[in-house]
Amino acid sequence: MGRKLKFEIFRYNPNDPKLVPHTDLFDLEETDSMTLFIALTRIREEQDPSLQFDFCCRAGICGSCAMVINGRPGLACKTLTKELPNNITLMPLPVFKLIGDLSVDTGTWFRAMNENVGSWIHTDKSFDPNAQEERMENAVAEEIYELERCVECGCCVAACGTANMREDFVGAVALNRIARFMLDPRDERTEKEYFEIIGTDEGIFGCMGLLACEDVCPKNLPLQDQLGILRRKMGWTAVKQLFNFRKTR
Amino acid sequence: MAIDTTIFVRDRSGIAAYLDWLQALTGVGLILFMWSHMVLVASVNLGAGAMNTLARFFEETYMAQVGGPLIGITFLLHFVLAARKVPFRSDQQATIWKHGKFLHHTDTWLWLVQVSTAMIILIMGSIHMWTVLTDLPITAAKSAARVQGGFWLVFYLILLPMVELHVGIGFYRIGVKWGFIKRKQRKGMKKFENILTGIFVLIGLITIIRFLTLTI
Ligand code: HEM
Ligand code: SF4
Ligand code: SF4
Ligand code: FES
Repeated sequence: MGRKLKFEIFRYNPNDPKLVPHTDLFDLEETDSMTLFIALTRIREEQDPSLQFDFCCRAGICGSCAMVINGRPGLACKTLTKELPNNITLMPLPVFKLIGDLSVDTGTWFRAMNENVGSWIHTDKSFDPNAQEERMENAVAEEIYELERCVECGCCVAACGTANMREDFVGAVALNRIARFMLDPRDERTEKEYFEIIGTDEGIFGCMGLLACEDVCPKNLPLQDQLGILRRKMGWTAVKQLFNFRKTR
Repeated sequence: MAIDTTIFVRDRSGIAAYLDWLQALTGVGLILFMWSHMVLVASVNLGAGAMNTLARFFEETYMAQVGGPLIGITFLLHFVLAARKVPFRSDQQATIWKHGKFLHHTDTWLWLVQVSTAMIILIMGSIHMWTVLTDLPITAAKSAARVQGGFWLVFYLILLPMVELHVGIGFYRIGVKWGFIKRKQRKGMKKFENILTGIFVLIGLITIIRFLTLTI
């Protein structure tokens, strides 16, 4: 016999004006290597077919199943119930727009974020589909790959006190994107251009170093180190600008 | 009100960067000052003579008369800069409070401790600086008389842990924010910061007790 798990799950549908946000209780017996994804699916199949939540890959790759699990943002499909106590509270991610129950719209936010930071390789070179791809040092490729592993789940944004208080803050995920393109030799943006994107209080200087992003990222991205590097780089860029300004006058 | 837009208007002045530099630098300046301050005051543990000699040296070289107000200005500047990040609006306060409670995350709590100690330091630190700097010269006897009066004893017993917590957390935070503390060193540095804070509170308490028992 498995443990008796007690789920407390947030319920609300913003499209139904009669509803008020509340939580519902569900009992479920734990089975072997049960994940929250399995638990939620069983609750939906056996107890309440109207329960809304997102999933897709079930393997921690697509980033769609992020939710707040006992207070901490995480991926439902990657979280084993055996790592949790008997009482499990599930809430939708804050910051993002609520679709219903545990389902939030991270897509709109991430689209705007990617457009905001110019999350693609900026180059004046015209693309020749027949030419061989340019080579890159293996070490550089690996460094880029390490930051490229982000699945855009939104956990780092939901866990960030700054992002919760100030909706104009770009969040660790956006700063990590910039860090990734800074490493990329194909991207021709200069430090000054990067500075114009994130050298503000909505960018790196708004980050207060609470490091919740680092501590919840389900892909374990090195956010702390990247944020530190960016602050230093952008800080120096500003100092250099100060002296250039004097010179050109 | 959130508005979906594809136009991003940015501030290109770099002002945020300079203010962040100033915030960190005033923070570091104040940390260094607080450490020196602790050495100076704790010198009373070596005897009233040691403290008086040090105090006289700082006054005869005018370091107290000039340095004191300078620290005061740094203190106020630091407050104004850091206040840009402090949640003063009640909806932000409610958000961060709920967020802190749900998240069970030490570093988020540490920041809340930093913000709340800051407000207390702003008020009590100003009172303390005013009292000491308008009643120069500093002598062990005058300090002891204040502590033995009772009011200042309670005052310092509150201010001491507030300052040490704020300084300790600030030291750690500058490290992580500017990337001096890397992922691997974070746990160790946090422990180091806690120990450091503990040691400073302890030295402070010993010093206060010394003032209490000093015969004037
Ligand atoms: C007027 C009283 C003070 C206020 C209102 C205040 C406020 C603050 C706040 C809110 C922060 C956090 C800022 C952030 O996370 O971005 C902070 C950081 C800091 N404070 Fe204070 N503080 C005060 C006095 C002091 C004193 C007396 C010291 C040192 C003795 C000090 C040292 C620091 C340090 C080192 C930091 C970290 C700096 C940084 O994160 O850039 N503060 N202060
Ligand atoms: S370090 Fe803190 S403030 Fe900065 S992005 Fe991460 S969670 Fe947000
Ligand atoms: S950085 Fe981590 S927590 Fe943030 S969106 Fe990417 S994978 Fe998720
Ligand atoms: S369902 Fe894809 S990450 Fe969880």
